[in-house]
Amino acid sequence: MKTKNLRKNVMLLAPLFGLVALLVAFFIIGTSKNINVAYGMKSIINQSVVVAVVATGAIFIYTLGSFDISLGASVAVSALVGGIVYNKTESLVIMFAACLGVAVFIGLFNSVLASIFNLPVFVTTIAMLSVLNALVLVLIKMNGTGSEIRVPMMAVSKLNTTQFKIFVLAAFFLVCLLVFSFTKVGRMQKFQGGNPICAKLSGISVKKMSIIAFIMSGIGVGLGACLSIVYAPTLTRNTASSVGMDVIIAIVFGGMPVSGGARSKIYAAVIGAFSMTLLSQIMVMFNLNSGIGQMVKAAIFILVVFLATSDQRGKMLPR
Amino acid sequence: MKQEILVKVEHMNKRFGSTVALKDVSIEVCSGRVLGLIGENGSGKSTVTSIIAGMQNADSGTMTYHDKEWKPGSMLYSLEHGIGMIVQETGTVPGITVAENIFLGETKFFKSFGEKHKWGPVKRKLLNQKAQEALDAIGASHIRAEQMTANLDLQERKLIEIARIMNKHPEVLVVDETTTALSQKGREIIYNIMEQMKKENKAVVFISHDLEEIMEKCDALTVLRDGNIIVTFDKSEFDEDKIKSSMIGRQLEGDYYRSDYDGSCEDEVVLEMKDVNLTGKLIDFNLQLHKGEILGIGGLSHCGMHTLGKVMFGNKKPESGEIRIKGKKLKNEADAMKHMVGYVAKDRDTESLCLNASIKDNIAVGGLDQFTTGGFLIFPWNEKKYVQKQVETLSIKCAGINQYVSALSGGNKQKVVFGKWIGRGSDVLILDCPTRGVDIGVKQAMYQLMYQMKKEGKSIVIISEELTELIGMSDRLMIMKDGKIMHEFPRSESLSEADAIQYMI
Repeated sequence: MKTKNLRKNVMLLAPLFGLVALLVAFFIIGTSKNINVAYGMKSIINQSVVVAVVATGAIFIYTLGSFDISLGASVAVSALVGGIVYNKTESLVIMFAACLGVAVFIGLFNSVLASIFNLPVFVTTIAMLSVLNALVLVLIKMNGTGSEIRVPMMAVSKLNTTQFKIFVLAAFFLVCLLVFSFTKVGRMQKFQGGNPICAKLSGISVKKMSIIAFIMSGIGVGLGACLSIVYAPTLTRNTASSVGMDVIIAIVFGGMPVSGGARSKIYAAVIGAFSMTLLSQIMVMFNLNSGIGQMVKAAIFILVVFLATSDQRGKMLPR
Repeated sequence: MKQEILVKVEHMNKRFGSTVALKDVSIEVCSGRVLGLIGENGSGKSTVTSIIAGMQNADSGTMTYHDKEWKPGSMLYSLEHGIGMIVQETGTVPGITVAENIFLGETKFFKSFGEKHKWGPVKRKLLNQKAQEALDAIGASHIRAEQMTANLDLQERKLIEIARIMNKHPEVLVVDETTTALSQKGREIIYNIMEQMKKENKAVVFISHDLEEIMEKCDALTVLRDGNIIVTFDKSEFDEDKIKSSMIGRQLEGDYYRSDYDGSCEDEVVLEMKDVNLTGKLIDFNLQLHKGEILGIGGLSHCGMHTLGKVMFGNKKPESGEIRIKGKKLKNEADAMKHMVGYVAKDRDTESLCLNASIKDNIAVGGLDQFTTGGFLIFPWNEKKYVQKQVETLSIKCAGINQYVSALSGGNKQKVVFGKWIGRGSDVLILDCPTRGVDIGVKQAMYQLMYQMKKEGKSIVIISEELTELIGMSDRLMIMKDGKIMHEFPRSESLSEADAIQYMI
């Protein structure tokens, strides 16, 4: 029994151990190669924080056993609209509000569309991905120079600090943690992810939970868009282009079960996002080009899913 | 016919963590006989048979089959070599056809270019034809091989499993707590198979909590308790009281069903159905449930009674008519819960529990409005206290409230479901087959609980295929047929099963 409990706890903490191991490796390798690790760390935070924020919101969707493939495109559209709004109003507050508003609207549209047509959510997000990608091109063409929308660097430079980014991530994470672990919404979401039929027969509104999940995810996307503008105020068609895939990988890296349900963990997103970026940086230190890096990431992704589900695959139910 | 020992189990031990599931168990399964296994939930019946059938391994002990060492690696291996098992829970895949379920993992035999060719289309017509033959052979012709499994009910899915196993013509058949999921027709199918196997000098191991059934069908009966073999009775030694007391290790105290014949209740109507129609299930259905009443609903499996339970809880919308709870029109499940109505579904593992979640999660989800602060905030200590209370009140046998429900025995799973609804203080409980797969001790506890609730002014609807429990517990018994109420019986000492059956068929 003790061995089983120990194994269970080790499995539970494995993503955290992984993050610590990667962090140690980064410092050791960086120091041995005479790389400025302090600068490297700042770069890791800059790269991770957008993915971490978006992925933290997305955990709510994954908990339901659903999947959103359009998150990266949502970040791009929200950021572009935010950029356009800033250029018209020159108000950062209105820009942030626009980013959040657009992102939440996209999320709501996704979930409402899925409930009207009674479709799995991921199906509507696939359609939404195409629409949003097209919208990115239209927005840039109509409101920018034709290839970019530029927010003046001076306007956002004061916010482009590690402290601000960490603050946004920490504040959003705490709100999500509260909702996820200490409110009835969080409990209902996990239960619905575990067994939607039983959830419905326990008085849980499947549609309502889906809408709440997409609102939370929308807030994450909106914040991610704001941080994207702060970090790189010149917005192009490539803005946040890799965020969608990075979010999926980060969530799985962080130990989130792909099927959602009771075992879902809100912290998986943050751990996963930082682990993934650290891994990329370590590969860069070894001069592995981005192509090879992507392949290594993909291999680790498969390995993590394999290990995470090995317990269930071999499990015999005690009868 | 010469009887021989087909399967011999000697000194078998099995543990699940700190729980001893089997302790030095030895059993012989002989040809031409039906061996019954009986015991409380968690006594080890399913564990020993699942080891014989290759579902899991023993920690120690030996097994022989036809005097040769028997170490099946899987259930498939076991079935291929002559030992088949119909499991307690659902064992079909919902998203494929009936035929594909019957030949699960064997569609290669229907490949257009022969079984050696990995690729190529499956001869679907032949697959369906062979599957239909398998269904016809067990007397389940009403199920069509080309139907999607997800569209079938629990009983029909069970019959598919039976067809799959019997298509392999096993020499030893384990029937694990299957009959409780079946109507009388389904049970007859199993009984015929058992009878046929006996005639062919094959063997059956039969697990059931229905004492009457097991005493009638078995030639010998082995009683297990807490993983130990207590005693084996030969048919000539069968005695209901002796069997019961050896099962639970004590005499059953108090009444099994309620002992009074006072069917009175208060006048106040708590749940009312008016002219409810649902195609093929309910026709112009009217019903009133009173405060402090136990209303029994009986009938054959397809009479519409299981749908009735879902309609009463707002899970299925009627095409016409209305349902009122305490005078207010019912909208959906959440609305039913708001009016303190609870619903225990027949298909426990799919509809009443989230198996991949803890006891705490499953009980707490029913009482979120009971222990939250401000209607939404959860303080872990309040939640723990709430759940712990239900676990103690219902004596749920578990390692702790964080234990996953999937690891519990059938009776304890059902207690968790009860805890979910009782914990929130439901005034009206709709119970669809509440004692399915539950041992005699737990059954008695549940009956006593229902009676206690009645005395507290709560109202209960029991939907069941077991007439004895309906007659034993109901203030009023309604018999349904083809979506209509055929007859209503008030509580009476003279009411017999025969009286009710004539309105069912």
